[in-house]
Amino acid sequence: MWREIGDREAGKIRPNAFANRFKRNRIESLQLSNHKDIVSAHRGSINSLQVDLTEGRYLLSGASDASVAAYDVQRPTEYEGNGIIGKHKCLFVVDRTHESGHQYAVSSAVWYPIDTGLFVTGSYDYHINVWDTNTTQVVTNFKMPGKVYKTAMSSLATSHMLIAAGTEDVQVRLCDIASGALAHTLSGHRDGVMTVEWSSSSEWVLVTGGCDGAIRFWDIRRAGCFLVLDQSQSQLGRRPPILDRSATNKVSSSKSSSPSPNLPVKARAAQRKLSNGSSMKQSPIAKIPAKGPLRQRLHPGMLSAQDRATAHYGAVTGLKVTEDGMHLLSAGSDSRLRLWDVESGRNTLVNFETVRLQTSKPMQLATSQNSALVFVPCMTTVKAFDMWSGRTDLTFRGHYECVNCCYFSFQDQELYTGGNDRQILVWSPSRLVYDEMDEGPHQDQDNWSD
Amino acid sequence: MEDERAGRGAKVRVLIENATNSTEPDLDPRLLKAIKSVVRCSDSDLRIAAHTLMDLMKRDHSQVRYLSLLIIDQLFMRSKLFRNLLVENMDNLLSLSVGFRRNQPLPAPPAVANRLRSKAIEFLEKWNDSFGFHYRQLRLGVDYLKNTLRFQFPELQANAARLQQERRERERKSKEILLNKYETFKENFPSMKDEIHSTINEIEECLEIVRIREEQVPLVPLDEEDFEEFRSSEMWQIRLSTLEEAEKVHENNDNKVVFDALRELYKLVMTKHLVSVQEWISVLVRVEVTDNKFRDSALKELIDTKNCLQSVKKKCEEAGFALRNTGNNDEEDFWEEGKITSIESGGSGARHERNEDRAAVSISNEVKKKDLASSCKEPGDKKMLGCEGGGSQSNSLKSKLLAEAPFVKWGPHLDNWGSKRDVLANQRGLDLEGHWGRVDYDAVIPAEKISELSVQATVYKEDTVEIQPCRAPLSKGRLCERRDLRVCPFHGPIIPRDNEGKPIDQDPSKDETNSAVGKDLAERLARQAVKNVREREKEVTRKRQIDKQELQHAKRAKVREHNESVLKDAALASTSRSAAIGEDIETTNRKNPMARNKKQSLSSMLRKKVTTKDRLAQRLLNARASEGTVFQLTLGEDVRYREAFPNQW
Repeated sequence: MWREIGDREAGKIRPNAFANRFKRNRIESLQLSNHKDIVSAHRGSINSLQVDLTEGRYLLSGASDASVAAYDVQRPTEYEGNGIIGKHKCLFVVDRTHESGHQYAVSSAVWYPIDTGLFVTGSYDYHINVWDTNTTQVVTNFKMPGKVYKTAMSSLATSHMLIAAGTEDVQVRLCDIASGALAHTLSGHRDGVMTVEWSSSSEWVLVTGGCDGAIRFWDIRRAGCFLVLDQSQSQLGRRPPILDRSATNKVSSSKSSSPSPNLPVKARAAQRKLSNGSSMKQSPIAKIPAKGPLRQRLHPGMLSAQDRATAHYGAVTGLKVTEDGMHLLSAGSDSRLRLWDVESGRNTLVNFETVRLQTSKPMQLATSQNSALVFVPCMTTVKAFDMWSGRTDLTFRGHYECVNCCYFSFQDQELYTGGNDRQILVWSPSRLVYDEMDEGPHQDQDNWSD
Repeated sequence: MEDERAGRGAKVRVLIENATNSTEPDLDPRLLKAIKSVVRCSDSDLRIAAHTLMDLMKRDHSQVRYLSLLIIDQLFMRSKLFRNLLVENMDNLLSLSVGFRRNQPLPAPPAVANRLRSKAIEFLEKWNDSFGFHYRQLRLGVDYLKNTLRFQFPELQANAARLQQERRERERKSKEILLNKYETFKENFPSMKDEIHSTINEIEECLEIVRIREEQVPLVPLDEEDFEEFRSSEMWQIRLSTLEEAEKVHENNDNKVVFDALRELYKLVMTKHLVSVQEWISVLVRVEVTDNKFRDSALKELIDTKNCLQSVKKKCEEAGFALRNTGNNDEEDFWEEGKITSIESGGSGARHERNEDRAAVSISNEVKKKDLASSCKEPGDKKMLGCEGGGSQSNSLKSKLLAEAPFVKWGPHLDNWGSKRDVLANQRGLDLEGHWGRVDYDAVIPAEKISELSVQATVYKEDTVEIQPCRAPLSKGRLCERRDLRVCPFHGPIIPRDNEGKPIDQDPSKDETNSAVGKDLAERLARQAVKNVREREKEVTRKRQIDKQELQHAKRAKVREHNESVLKDAALASTSRSAAIGEDIETTNRKNPMARNKKQSLSSMLRKKVTTKDRLAQRLLNARASEGTVFQLTLGEDVRYREAFPNQW
């Protein structure tokens, strides 16, 4: 490590690369944190976890006992054991006793992406509430036709303030916070919608996964979905990530096998670079008509064969779009994890070594920096898979019952997991500095008497 | 090098497997020591040991798991590396040793499995107490088992701490109490001391007086010849003892007062002073105070007083009266007195004349009543309360009054019987009983109102009438036991009967006039005659009816026979099948009612055996019974219809 710092000082390593390398090392050493202890305020299983996107400091958790709580993950409220263990008690908790609290399990609790002044909760009592964080009062609420499984807000959005809600109902609803009304209903799924996810590259693209096993892409400016993922359509390998230059060998394989020509991809990548910069007018959708063979995808409703395609056998329980928005990771009740190429809409056939996934509940996946690792709750453990090879890198054992959700904090390289055993566990890189480990009541040392 | 390590690893594995391969409830200490010494030397061996132990924990036998767990505990408490290795798989270890997962119960020998579970929980607690701060996994495991699965932890440490705490608390409390006692003692000591001394002085004086009196009694001097007589030692002994006895002061009329006073004082010393002095001494000995001066001096004084008291006591006892005449003697006296009252109550009752207390009178009254009841057992004479005063002429007036006095049931109105006091109204209105609260002397309820309020309430009580049994003779030879008020549903009006059940002629007219007997007899004879005639007539008509019915039956049978033959002919004329059908129909027709009849008979047979209870139950289950009767009726009707109109079916 010191050598790297020296290199950085000498200018041999670029700042970005240095940071990435440093972070990667930290992620490699993730383990159950002994010094950060979140005192769960919930009496039910934890269904949703999210750290706010602005400060990376406040962890929001929603649980099955209809409670929502927020924790400060940076500053402990009290210490135990001679200051070794920092206890993080909740800053506030909103539960059933609150006059406008939820009645049934909270399935999803997300921060408003712009600041920490608002948060959104969706519950099995058919309601989506928007809360003011400081007063813990409901600002607006939306009534849904069924249990709310998942709510999502786009972190990119600058022109809309929509909450996408996946419910028991077949239609996906978009709730506008600004007006307090339902902006759209997106119909296409044939069963309840377990998970919704906004694209990380375009503010208008929404991905939904339903209990019918379909993953649909929607452009919210148009009617109907423009892409339905089909598990039988596959391609080997993947296109190179925009910033990653190491995976060139895989590009060659994709070149040879994938039906999509190499040229448009590169052109698109170049274009993406531009669009990422400033202009909002250009979007991936706008570019698709330029491609001849993909034209028909715009109206998949006409092609019933395509419309009925499924991404998983059974329900789609979790979705995660990679950081660059080019790949989509999906988990299904068939205990499979699939990595999709968003551009081509094909299964990349990466074999994730999952053992078993929880099937009955929507689950929350997480990806690490640069989408190198994906954290997947596998029953009582959380596994970290290598995104591109599917190998198991790390296994996190600590929960005593099924894990429902995990969230990776980019800022601290910490992983938060919540499960049915009501615990919120923090997995943090092992600490480098042990100076404050002046021992507690009992020394943690070898103690051989004979 | 590599070989050697592998060899040592194998050694550890073999050692552990040997240690766990036993049926003993405990580990072999030699093997354990060997394992520890091997593992202590190298980390790689420790790793191998951890691995092996986890493998053994997966064995499908509770004994193996139990012994492995014991080894794990030994190593866990000692090695940091081992802890780190184990903690990684804490949930696995717990599920294998506690068996909290439903799909992974503990394996076979259930007794050992229980031991394993309790031991595992105990160990987990111990580990958590020792190393919980360093291992989040331990804390998580304890938290999960305790708060989610609600396992009972032995909580050894917590219990010990609690016990300690309790003991300290108790000690502190007792100390406080002692100190308080000490303080009060400080205050009371001088007065108490005076009291004791005055008592002692009094006793001394009393003894003095007694002795002086005694000295006045002349002692017969011992003569020489007398001495001769008592030469033999035995006699001498007896003589001495009698002399001694004589020296003792005896109670007589003269010194009775003194003796009484002495007795009182002695009692006081025994029951009060000695006890309290003893108590104070113990308090002083135990108490811890800053200034020991007062304590020591007081202690000294107390001990002196105690000695003094003891000597006085001894003197009293020597005087010979003390023990005999105190305490229990008095009690005996009292008891006898009590007996006397109860005995005397029947007789003179002179003692009770003295006290005018109403209660006492009532008590004696009751006693008298009881005596009376026991002496004369005739139930009719219960009211003869007054006659009890026969023996006691002295209080004849009272007995007369008592005889007149009405029986009043006990009730709250007796509390202010005859009192003409006004009653203060309570703050809470008419809550007469309550005496809490502010008193307003102007708010008064006048006496007449109170008497209105406390009107004696009586509940109407029906005097019990014994309902006579019917006693009509039954077919089995017994008498009807039914008890109805007037009319037995089976045997008509209830009339007095003799032992055979024959009605005793006891007409209501009996008490009217004896002269009317003859007339009555004639009337009865006439009635009987009429009855006889009527019965005969009835019989005749019935016979006639039966004849008629038989005739009709015969007729119908004939017609039916004819019908059947006709049908048969017709059937023969038609196809065989239809004939078969006809036969079938016939048989079924014939069979079905038969079968039903049979069934009914069976069920009725069953029913015949049923007890009264069942009968009642059946009657209660009215719906079914009515349904049954309806069915029977319709069935009967059907049959009758067919019989009546054989041409039409």
